[in-house]
Amino acid sequence: MDKIQYVGEALWIGYLCKAFIIGGFVAALLSAVSYTFSSWGSSTQAPAWKRLGNIGFAVHALLIISLLGLMFYAMVQQHYEYSYVFDHVSGDLPMKYILSAFWEGQEGSFLLWMFWHLVIGAVIIAINDQFKLEVMAVIMVAEIWLNSMLLGIYLPFGEDIKIGSNPMMLIREITLAPIFNNADYLSLIQGRGLNPLLQNYWMTIHPPFIFAAFALSVVPFGYAVAALRKGEYQNWLRPVLPWALFGTAILGISLIMGSLWAYEALSFGGYWAWDPVENTSLVPWIILVGGIHANLIAKATGRAIRSTLLFYLGGFLMIVYSTLLTRSGILGDTSAHAFTEMGLEWQLTFFLLSFVFLGIILMAWRYKNIPAPAKEESIYSREFWMYVGTLVLFFSALLINASSSLPVLNTIIRYFDPSYIGRVIKDPIAHYNKYQLWISIFIGLFSAITVWLKYKNAEQVKGKWLVRIAVYTAAALLLTWLTSLWIQLPEWHYLLMSATAWFTIVANGHFLLEAITRNTRALGAALAHMGFGIMAIGILASGLNFSYLSNPFVFKGLFGGEGDEEKYIQLIKNKPLLVKDYVVTYEADTLIGKARHYDILFKQLGNDSSQRVFIDSFVTRPNAVYSNDFSKIAAFNPDTRHYAGKDIFTCVVSLPAQVADAEQAKLMEDSLKYAPFTALKGDSIRIGKEVLVVDGLQYPPRHEEFKNHTLDVGFEVAYHIIDENGKKEEGQCAIGLEGSLMYKFAGKHENLGWRVRPSEHLLDQWLSPEDQLDYSVLSMQKGQEISWQGYTLSISGFDKNVDTSRYKVEKGDISIMGLVDVVKGEKSWLSKPIFVLRGNAPMSIKDYLIEEGLHIRLSAIDPATGTFELKVAKDKRINSGFPLEIATNVPRSDYIVLEAKIFPGINLYWIGSILMMLGLLLAWWFKYKENKEWTSAS
Amino acid sequence: MNKTTLLALIMIVAAGVIFMNASKDVSTYSNFREADSTGDRVKVVGVLSKGKPMEYLPEKNPNIFKFYMTDNKGEEKQVVLAKAKPQDFERSEQIVVTGTMKDNQFYADEILMKCPSKYKEEEITLRKGS
Repeated sequence: MDKIQYVGEALWIGYLCKAFIIGGFVAALLSAVSYTFSSWGSSTQAPAWKRLGNIGFAVHALLIISLLGLMFYAMVQQHYEYSYVFDHVSGDLPMKYILSAFWEGQEGSFLLWMFWHLVIGAVIIAINDQFKLEVMAVIMVAEIWLNSMLLGIYLPFGEDIKIGSNPMMLIREITLAPIFNNADYLSLIQGRGLNPLLQNYWMTIHPPFIFAAFALSVVPFGYAVAALRKGEYQNWLRPVLPWALFGTAILGISLIMGSLWAYEALSFGGYWAWDPVENTSLVPWIILVGGIHANLIAKATGRAIRSTLLFYLGGFLMIVYSTLLTRSGILGDTSAHAFTEMGLEWQLTFFLLSFVFLGIILMAWRYKNIPAPAKEESIYSREFWMYVGTLVLFFSALLINASSSLPVLNTIIRYFDPSYIGRVIKDPIAHYNKYQLWISIFIGLFSAITVWLKYKNAEQVKGKWLVRIAVYTAAALLLTWLTSLWIQLPEWHYLLMSATAWFTIVANGHFLLEAITRNTRALGAALAHMGFGIMAIGILASGLNFSYLSNPFVFKGLFGGEGDEEKYIQLIKNKPLLVKDYVVTYEADTLIGKARHYDILFKQLGNDSSQRVFIDSFVTRPNAVYSNDFSKIAAFNPDTRHYAGKDIFTCVVSLPAQVADAEQAKLMEDSLKYAPFTALKGDSIRIGKEVLVVDGLQYPPRHEEFKNHTLDVGFEVAYHIIDENGKKEEGQCAIGLEGSLMYKFAGKHENLGWRVRPSEHLLDQWLSPEDQLDYSVLSMQKGQEISWQGYTLSISGFDKNVDTSRYKVEKGDISIMGLVDVVKGEKSWLSKPIFVLRGNAPMSIKDYLIEEGLHIRLSAIDPATGTFELKVAKDKRINSGFPLEIATNVPRSDYIVLEAKIFPGINLYWIGSILMMLGLLLAWWFKYKENKEWTSAS
Repeated sequence: MNKTTLLALIMIVAAGVIFMNASKDVSTYSNFREADSTGDRVKVVGVLSKGKPMEYLPEKNPNIFKFYMTDNKGEEKQVVLAKAKPQDFERSEQIVVTGTMKDNQFYADEILMKCPSKYKEEEITLRKGS
């Protein structure tokens, strides 16, 4: 077969990208090896190795940034010949989502992660620190692994082994399709574009944060490796701390962002679902928080150095582990939001294992040398309770990780025993909550009692401390009692959780006040711990006490237990529904872009049930997003009304099948049985208990869809229906032509379950085809009145602003629109026929008076004499009956099923979690300053 | 006994108790027959019985969706799900429901569906105008 010469491919992009990827990989390798030797080799060689390491880093950075730039260029320019561009970009993708499209895929997000490593590497090279070469070596090893994910090299052993996946492969190289036999295939294809679920601003801001946090977590790992390699167990504790604080704050902020995203924009119906993907990002955060506490203890007392090392090593390992889980497809059906598989499971596994072994080997090698004071700490010392706290954190992480790892365990066992039946957690949310509740209780307790203790010299504060604790306990109990008046705390462990949360809020709040006046450096810790307490109260309020706004009248008792809760309400358009103390109305829906927005009006009734007084009203606009080809609804997005004390969350959960899916709509339309009826104007048709009365032709049109359709010609029939109670309902249906296509617009009567539409015969009866029209030619001067078949016609003037929507304008056309007054008895119309001179040939575009069936053309203009020629014809409307078709028992299409949830106190959750991160950032800032002062002093 | 050892012991005991406890939250995927005989709350894996009727009548009760499902052993039962009818339900390849068996019907309040990935299914079909 001849090699096809493809048209329009920019092959240079692919060649360059491949060169950048491989070059970047080699440079990272060189840099990592050089940095490693720079701190191993003899001191005379060290500077040379260091220089080589820096050069390798610089070359690697340059190539990776060039790769980023070039891929970005290919995406902006829509070079669909490349797989990554084809998979993530489309012509209709707004530019504001181009960044989201860039990191939607695995390769793009790996590159984002690598980019942050480069930024961090540059900072570390710039600072003066005795551990920096070892840290750089670790960063570069991580960079080698990440870069390898993009290699796209196939090793020819046995089955093809794939190393990495090059995002800039030509699609015709990786997909076999007949379209590629066409040399000009590029002009035929369109990119797939960004998943509509991801087309929001969260997708733009969340990934850069989470990958910055991922990248930052390698630094504490690097310091731990450096400390172990050098055998320097004290000096690293100071420089590593700001890095750990900053990285943990960024990871925490990313988690909050993810939580907000889920709550504000996704249909999860909450802010935390204990999904494996969420859990495996939370675990490294908890581990790093444990590391920070151990680090503080170690720095102040020389204890817990081993724990610090282990926590910091574990933090990054958990990040890599979460990467393995989310990107390998192993989570399968237990997670709602994992990446699509890329076939890199083994490569990711080796990535993880290499770092696990590095950590284990270094720890085993140095374990005995790591100093650990033999003397016991006092139980009135800060370090004792802080250490117990870190163990609680470790437990928390261990529990979450163990439960989230069940799919991994299943996969491993199944590898050895294919018949093994996998285990699952029956009720994940209840499972996680049950244990983490106790974690919260212990953390509340320990973070409160620790803050007022001091390192080492413990006993002297004992007396005063005990008094304080007694006061705080009393305050916490009082506040818990007040809380129980506001929200329900149905069981003793919830009361305990509330009490410990208040306990830490009070203790740390008091400390914060003192700290502001005295020692500002401990501000961060107090703020973070207070934030934790506030978050815990927020979780009790919103997570334990959320309620559904649901209809109390629907049938109950089916489940006789937990599943019995009525969650959703059906709202029929414009029919107010009373649910609890709200009157809820689905008022309107509007299509904006790809999303249909539903206006839901909520009116809150006052407490006085005898009178209907509304004390509040608001509108929420949840929406339904169509798939990129508009064939069906792809997703539902919620909308939430925020108050200081509560949120009202609304989300559409279901739409009528014929609204949600074009295929279903067609199936339903086909399944309707239309029965034909013909009636004269004023005649009535009885169907069952209802009577339909035809009111005749109607002009101007009122049918919503018909009005907005530009057709060549169309008729609208008005009618009204009288039900058994004598209630009258007006309606209209229409039929029309556009070229040879016929359009029917049915009148929908949702309450009756009726559809009424004109039959095709209506057109035949009412509209005479052009070739059967018998035109009369009327010559007249402007202003002259001529009688024709009972009508009086006259030309009153002309309009140069010709209505060009009625014919296809060509270049060089000279056109004018006549204004023709048509009068019959009392009635009059203004007709606007158009005269066009195309070249030398005259053309007339007729105007049609629907009501009278008059076809009017302006057929000739004689400028010399001022004579105009009108051609007029009238439809032969022999039979004046209206043939209609009526379907009954039509399923409703004017309703939505809505989930409306009230989350009390949810703002406490957000405020608390944000305060925690603020506390971490403050702590980072103070430690960073402190280190700077310390470095310049020494 | 010093404090560290005591602490370590407490932790180990606590860990043991928690893990023993937590193991009760874990089960294998079950089937209708097992669910019927034990009466336990279980997860059942199966596929939608496509020929059988599905019933979702929001006017009557928007919280109940009924359908027939065939479990891995080939047994077919009606599932009464306490949720709205999920989007794209007809296209599901596999269903996991959590609930209990009662009077020959499976009362579920959780559902997970595996759907063919929208973005893989299409492959190279996005040719303009063809």
